[in-house]
Amino acid sequence: MTHMPLSLKTLPNRRDEAWKWSDVSRAVSNDVQGADTSAPVQIFVPEGVTVTRTDAAATAANDTSLVKLASQYAGQVWNIVVPDGFSSENPIQIEGLTNGHAQISLSLGKGASVQLVEHYDGQAGAFVNSHLNVKLAEDALLDRVIVQTDPDDCVRISTTHVTAWAKSELRQHTLAFGGKLSRLETRMAGMGEGVKATINGAYLLDGARHCDMTSYIDLACPDGHIRQSVKGVTADKSRGVFQGKFHVRRPAQHTDARMRHDCIMLSDTSEIRSKPELEIYADDVVCEHGNTIGALDESALFYMRQRGIPLAQARAMLTEAFLASVFDTLEDEVMRESLLEKLRAWLEATV
Amino acid sequence: MLKINNLHVAVDDGQKPILTGLSLEVPKGEVHAIMGPNGAGKSTLSYVLTGRDGYDVTDGTVTLDGKDLLDMEPEERAAAGVFLSFQYPLEIPGVPTMTFLKTALNAQRKARGEEEMKAPEFLKKARALAKELKMKPEMLKRPLNVGFSGGEKKRMEIFQMMMLEPNFIVMDETDSGLDVDALRIVADGVNKLRSPDRGMLIITHYQRLLDYIVPDRVHVLAKGGIAASGDAEFAKKLENEGYDAYAA
Repeated sequence: MTHMPLSLKTLPNRRDEAWKWSDVSRAVSNDVQGADTSAPVQIFVPEGVTVTRTDAAATAANDTSLVKLASQYAGQVWNIVVPDGFSSENPIQIEGLTNGHAQISLSLGKGASVQLVEHYDGQAGAFVNSHLNVKLAEDALLDRVIVQTDPDDCVRISTTHVTAWAKSELRQHTLAFGGKLSRLETRMAGMGEGVKATINGAYLLDGARHCDMTSYIDLACPDGHIRQSVKGVTADKSRGVFQGKFHVRRPAQHTDARMRHDCIMLSDTSEIRSKPELEIYADDVVCEHGNTIGALDESALFYMRQRGIPLAQARAMLTEAFLASVFDTLEDEVMRESLLEKLRAWLEATV
Repeated sequence: MLKINNLHVAVDDGQKPILTGLSLEVPKGEVHAIMGPNGAGKSTLSYVLTGRDGYDVTDGTVTLDGKDLLDMEPEERAAAGVFLSFQYPLEIPGVPTMTFLKTALNAQRKARGEEEMKAPEFLKKARALAKELKMKPEMLKRPLNVGFSGGEKKRMEIFQMMMLEPNFIVMDETDSGLDVDALRIVADGVNKLRSPDRGMLIITHYQRLLDYIVPDRVHVLAKGGIAASGDAEFAKKLENEGYDAYAA
């Protein structure tokens, strides 16, 4: 494998339609830490799940340039295999990913069920680019939680491809605080009947942080059931980006797919960019998208203050109430409470 | 004692005068009613007393027990004991009623330098009052006012009032949206709060509420100030004769 220096020309920029609001090439300089190195990766698995390392697989022509870069610089691929029928109280945890490139593959066997917890906490000033390739066999269930707490000068690209076979399910909940630039992208292909997915996320941004939540759900078979709710709050001069697309192919009849993106701007210098898309070729489906951007309700704030709740606390309570609903579908109560704690801590410090 | 002296209030960035020299005193222990035609500034008065944005006080003073209310933030006025029962109570999605009220109560106590009320004591008090107001217990678990009927929202206002035990109460059109049974329950709640230490200002368009909460004084708000005053009987006279005599 040839190790070419990372070329800024290779990185997507605002002239690429899919990256027009997240200009990676502008955010990354040639000498950034992690530009051409493999990332440290720590993977903790419950008993019965195996982790091996193999040489990188060839990339496909239609992979994004960042996936290609990950393949080029990550070195070997980490392979996590969850056997058929597996279930455990304990999660798979992915840590590390503090700088550099990584490639991870996760395969769930038939009827397997597991929780995956990823914590993204990069080094100051680093560039992190990880690619996770997930395969869900029939009836498999992946309960994925992503917590991103990068420093404000860290650039992070996390791209996930999910291939979902019949009656498999992805439940994904993301709590993200952005970075210099962060893009958390989920691309899912529904390759069997009755695929289910919940793809929820919340982003909370202050300072000059940037967070991009992009998703592309491609359904090729009947009876898919997709629920997506992304919520954001932006303070100061931060920037939130949401791009969501449901692509419903002709055989994907009786698809029931709903997408929402709702956000609150806490400052008039922050920015929110949103592009919800539906592309539908099947004629017997229920698909919808909704998008709202607003401010906290002044009347509700006055009402709360009239009852004695100080302004900052009233703002925090209303914002928390607004955001918290994206985690209602997270069944792990302990995990949900820990996410809400992080959310509250941010609100207390920022709002 | 609430003392309003020569109050001038304008809206629309000070362009549109609403109150033009209103003076009123409500001594402790008394219940005063403010009646008047639509658009006279009744709701404006309730918002100015509680500190809502968008109402410019261009002249005059308002004090409660000697403290300058106009100088305080809305939450400071609440901690000083001012409570407004809203004409249209707000829905607060995602915030359970009990969480909201406990936060409010303890924020007020903290502002006054008092000890916070502990959860068991709070729950016991809330349950007893809910029973008294014939409120369904599940209402307390739901997000505040979300999905409540008009009558339920008004009952919730009274519930909050009884929980917070303010020392000056402003009720803005509390009777609107209430049927007779609910009106009686609400009035019973308010009458229980009558005390030598507490003043009340009841803002209403109709005299009906005053059959249940009998006021000590009745004032007509018209042309930007108090146009006439009288006793409880005066309200009945107003109901019969209308406000034409006081209109601009």
